[in-house]
Amino acid sequence: MNPSPILSALHLGKTVPGPEGDLTLLDDVSLDVHAGESAAILGPSGSGKSTLLGLLAGLDRPTTGHVRLQDQNLNELDEDELAALRGRWCGFVFQSFHLVHDLTALENVMLPLELKGDPAARETATQWLGRVGLHQRRSHFPNQLSGGEQQRVALARAFAVEPALLFADEPTGSLDHANGRHVSELLFELNRDEGTALVLVSHDEELAGRCDRRWRLEEGRLHA
Amino acid sequence: MRRPRMLSRTAFRPWRDGAFRLLGTALAIAAFALSSVLLLRAELNERFDQRTAEVLGGQLVLDGSRAPEPAQRELMDAVRTVPAVEFRTVLVRNEQTLLVSARAVAPPYPLFGRLTLAPERFGTEYTADHGPPPGEAWLAGQALDRLGVQVGDTITVGQKELKLSAVLKREPDGGAGFYSMSPRLLMHHDDLQATGVIAEGTRLDHETLIAGPPERIARVRSQLEENLRPDQELEGVDDAAEETLSPLRQLTLWISLSVLLVALLCGAAIYLASGERVQRHARHAALMRCFGASRRQVLDDLLGREFVAVLPASLIGSGLGVLLVWAIRRQMEWQGAWSAGPAVWALALLAPLVLWASFALPRLLRLLRTPAGEVLRAGGDHTRPALELGAALAGPVALAALLTQSWQDLGLVLGILVVLGTVLPALFWPGLRWLDRRSARWPLTLRLALRRLSRRPLLTLPLLAALTLAIATLTLAGQTGTRLIDDWQGQLPDKAANYFLFNLLDEDKPVLRDWLDKHKGEPSPLYPIVRGRLTRIEGTPIREAVTKDKQDSEEALNRDLALTTAEQVPESNRILEGEWWDADAGPGQVSVEADIARSLDIDPGDSVTFVTSRDEVTGTVTSIREVDWASFEPNFYFMFSPGSLAAQDATWLTSFWLPEGSGRRLSELLEQMPHATLLDVDALLERAEQIARQASGAAFLLAFVLMGSALLVLGAALLAGQNQRGLDNALLRILGARHALVRRVQLLEFVLLGAGAALAATALVLAALWPLGQRLFDGALPISAWQLLPLAAIALITVLGGLLSRRSLAQPPLALLKAG
Repeated sequence: MNPSPILSALHLGKTVPGPEGDLTLLDDVSLDVHAGESAAILGPSGSGKSTLLGLLAGLDRPTTGHVRLQDQNLNELDEDELAALRGRWCGFVFQSFHLVHDLTALENVMLPLELKGDPAARETATQWLGRVGLHQRRSHFPNQLSGGEQQRVALARAFAVEPALLFADEPTGSLDHANGRHVSELLFELNRDEGTALVLVSHDEELAGRCDRRWRLEEGRLHA
Repeated sequence: MRRPRMLSRTAFRPWRDGAFRLLGTALAIAAFALSSVLLLRAELNERFDQRTAEVLGGQLVLDGSRAPEPAQRELMDAVRTVPAVEFRTVLVRNEQTLLVSARAVAPPYPLFGRLTLAPERFGTEYTADHGPPPGEAWLAGQALDRLGVQVGDTITVGQKELKLSAVLKREPDGGAGFYSMSPRLLMHHDDLQATGVIAEGTRLDHETLIAGPPERIARVRSQLEENLRPDQELEGVDDAAEETLSPLRQLTLWISLSVLLVALLCGAAIYLASGERVQRHARHAALMRCFGASRRQVLDDLLGREFVAVLPASLIGSGLGVLLVWAIRRQMEWQGAWSAGPAVWALALLAPLVLWASFALPRLLRLLRTPAGEVLRAGGDHTRPALELGAALAGPVALAALLTQSWQDLGLVLGILVVLGTVLPALFWPGLRWLDRRSARWPLTLRLALRRLSRRPLLTLPLLAALTLAIATLTLAGQTGTRLIDDWQGQLPDKAANYFLFNLLDEDKPVLRDWLDKHKGEPSPLYPIVRGRLTRIEGTPIREAVTKDKQDSEEALNRDLALTTAEQVPESNRILEGEWWDADAGPGQVSVEADIARSLDIDPGDSVTFVTSRDEVTGTVTSIREVDWASFEPNFYFMFSPGSLAAQDATWLTSFWLPEGSGRRLSELLEQMPHATLLDVDALLERAEQIARQASGAAFLLAFVLMGSALLVLGAALLAGQNQRGLDNALLRILGARHALVRRVQLLEFVLLGAGAALAATALVLAALWPLGQRLFDGALPISAWQLLPLAAIALITVLGGLLSRRSLAQPPLALLKAG
């Protein structure tokens, strides 16, 4: 295992103003994720899982502490630099899939590649759609695909950029049991084959159980 | 203190919501358009009816060859009537004879308008609200010249001597034009018997002019219609309006159509905004239901919240509409009370509520049917598309019925709306599909922008159609009107005639020539004018040769025409069929204008016969001519070969150009020929330009409101899709897109939308201008700077779209995570 973590958070805190004073969402959270490692953050609704994921992915700014991604302190980057960093190193899978409805399955997979300026975006995306078993449906639009298929397109989109780190937010949360199982198999298989680090946020113990490491988030504090 | 503060908080808080503001704006615009048009139409209709009644002589006219029966007179007791008898008679004075068209009238003639008189032949005109008293007569000016009589002299009509007490210049219902065949004599009805002209076999025209309240007129009309003799016919204001298909009716139709389009676009905006409002209300309504509120309580709460927007917005819009009509009344100097009755006022105020009820209410009422639990879980779709569609169609149809008030016009307006609503989007659809397919390999930014449009056809196509129509209407409104007149004037030759001179006598010709030489005028050819009425084609009387409809509708059959002779074909005429005669051709040949030849089915070789004041003229058609009526040269329907009219009483007609500033010297010329009539083309053009300016101002205002409504729909569509748009942008940011790229995609989307609409609008405008170019500009399209308006519209749509969707750009990427 690489001794230098691909992602590290140090004394991360997040407070937001509330009607009765500041509200603490996260308090003194520190963690490391190494290349190829899979880590799960578990917690009930409202425990701050999504807030933590947002901070780790550079989608939000911490009130205290900092996040380092590929040795870059996210606090020192502006929004466009953060976007470029995400585009270069990160992949995302969401609970509600979040495919672009106006683009076909193939174009959705091409999207992050094109944003990176990859001249072989179409070929790479076609190949990845084949890997998730959706080659035949590459010209379909999201509303013509089932939930499970949409999430497989989202997986292809996330892995197509060969990310060093994949953020997955409740990736099976919107799927039935069979589809959820299929998607989680695929997620861990690709994670293993590509050597991608995985940060998984979920309340699903079974899914989290398949990760190398697990943390539990309770009332804004992280417990091993 | 607390209560006013609470009230202001309650009243103003909803306006912080974008959907609420949009709903209010849409209603205000619709209320403005609907109220101003309903009130203005009432004003125009009354003025038009008044004018038509003036021209007819009454709101209803009973016409027959004999006086009405006593029973018919009894039926007319409930209304004001004037008996008027018309006949032709010959006036004799010192061996001079003159055929005049006499009319005997009794008080309270005239029922509408006023008579224009003069104390002497060229005296200062004045008006009168009554006819001549018994024993007196008023005679048209040219009759005075021909008989050599003056005001104060005595003339003999049949066996009755009458004192000539004024010169008759104009009757409100006379309709006498330049080519009127016989001069008019007006006398009192009481003197009629004494003239002795009423004898067995005399051809008389008995008119009863009728006026009164509309409902009584309608009753009298229906009773008279059941008791008409074969020789009698009834004509009312409505018939006259229908027959002429007056410009007013066309104007009203156009205004109704524009206002309906505005209402429909506002309806679309209301529909989209109400969708957002429903979402806002849903949880509140569900909670109320959970806590035990009855449907009635939920309904009261819902409607109460909506009326905070609906009522003030409607009132503000209607108030602005009333203000506009007030300003128009003031500018046009329309005196008297407002023409709109209580029903029209009520309609003007209620019409926007009809719009709201049909587009928003069904969606709001949906909340009452939704079980509370489902709303709280954000599940369940309780839309009733059939009800919503039915209501959305019923509202505009009801408004169209209110605006048109006739089945025929309603059908026409709805037909046009259906065509616009289906054909325009249908025309865009293939183009959008083609772009959708072609864009697969286009650059990412362009593809993303295009797909946002092409993948939402149900929103994009109506939006494109609305914007296209609005841009095209605005461009046309700017292009036409005064600008077209300016362009057309620019196309006229440098020394195009600016004066026409009628009724010249033979001895006037050298006087005119000398005067024009002296004042550097440019003369045109002189044409002899003989007034004649077309009576036979190929020897068959017009009544048999031409259908009844054609007899009624073809204006040339119902008036005296100016016949002339010419050696050369006029410059502005073109022979289409047959040949123009040789220089040495004999009399009896005639060249006919193409439109009237087509209308009356006249071909080369046919013979046409006219009755003139002297006898008859017959000619054989040798050619059919196309006439450029816009050339401002004397033009004629029937031109005879030289010598054909030699035996007729002819006057002369010419046109000429005078340098600017020489016009005031024309009084010298007219003093030498007081019988001549001068027509100042520049003054006519100035008047036409003034009317065009007012009409184009109104058209421009309407087009402007239409454009505003189309942009409102754009705003509503953006508002309705704001959340999704924000999430799409957030996703792009998460996947690594720079802010500039997301902004570029968004702007490009509006550029494409604007460009599509601008392109289609330009095509529409050019298609609309093409016939004008053919007619007025020798086939060249009247292009002007207004053609650049679609480009400006692209910029406007882009800027507005960018501004209205800026919140979706500011959506933080984290929002996507929170959305699940």
